[in-house]
Amino acid sequence: MTLDKLDITWLILLTITMANALVAETAEPHLVITAIICFSIAYKGRRIIDNFMELAHANDTIKKLMRAYFYIFPALIFLTDAFSTQLAALTTL
Amino acid sequence: MTVSNVASEQFVGQAEETFYLNGSGSVTTEPETLKKIPGNKAVWVGIFAELSEFAVFFIAYFIAKAHNPIEFEQGPLALNTLAGTLNTFALITSSYFVAKSLAAIRVNDPQKSIRCLSYAVCCGALYLLIKFWEYHWNVDHGIHADTNSFFSMYYYMTFNHLIHVSWATLSLLWAISQIKVGNYTQQRHVGLTAIACYWHMVDLAWVIIFPLLYVLR
Repeated sequence: MTLDKLDITWLILLTITMANALVAETAEPHLVITAIICFSIAYKGRRIIDNFMELAHANDTIKKLMRAYFYIFPALIFLTDAFSTQLAALTTL
Repeated sequence: MTVSNVASEQFVGQAEETFYLNGSGSVTTEPETLKKIPGNKAVWVGIFAELSEFAVFFIAYFIAKAHNPIEFEQGPLALNTLAGTLNTFALITSSYFVAKSLAAIRVNDPQKSIRCLSYAVCCGALYLLIKFWEYHWNVDHGIHADTNSFFSMYYYMTFNHLIHVSWATLSLLWAISQIKVGNYTQQRHVGLTAIACYWHMVDLAWVIIFPLLYVLR
């Protein structure tokens, strides 16, 4: 039995999800944990966009916008965790 | 031989000449998607509108978390991680089957395409069942939308996402019906590609929601 790109992507995504669930149940909050989770979000998003959505060789604008979403939001998750006090001060009415 | 028959044979000839497959479900050499908009422009307007909507939710979450750090640290611990994880499995697996279905229609195997879409629909239904169970579990454990700001965000995001999964599942059923009546074929399946892209978008939104609500503290 040979695995194609879709099979491998599916297995990788399930493995990362299980790792995330393990982190949720065991790890204490820490910026390093946040960074790892953010990286896993970006990686999962990229795999789905490139392999399931098949955007790797599609229209450049759509591909770049979709990929950018999964660079920007993981980065924002990390930054809002790292600078939560400043964000609270900035958004206090 | 009529003019339409000649045109039809020319079209088939062109399709055979340019329709490449690498046999692994990849489309890297297919003119159907190479440098083109997958599906149609309308579905991408919808996809970007939906992703913008979820982006607003995420930004609201960031701000709420910054103002209520204790609630957002304790909130994920109170949620049912198993339900969240199983839902992630269901959505990833459904996306996998949708991608497989598209690969099958490209090799002119509509039966396999229907089978894969049916599995994807089952995964969508499983997601809805798990969510139903999770919401009941929450109520049993005293978790309500007005418990605190974390749970308000949780219900707002997950219920919104659940609605997207519901109508996306209906669109998969529509795709199955269109393959059955012969409207989606090897040569013409733009609608199926559009539905597949929308389904993957729903999966992508959950890829961010799951760690935000169940994992990160």
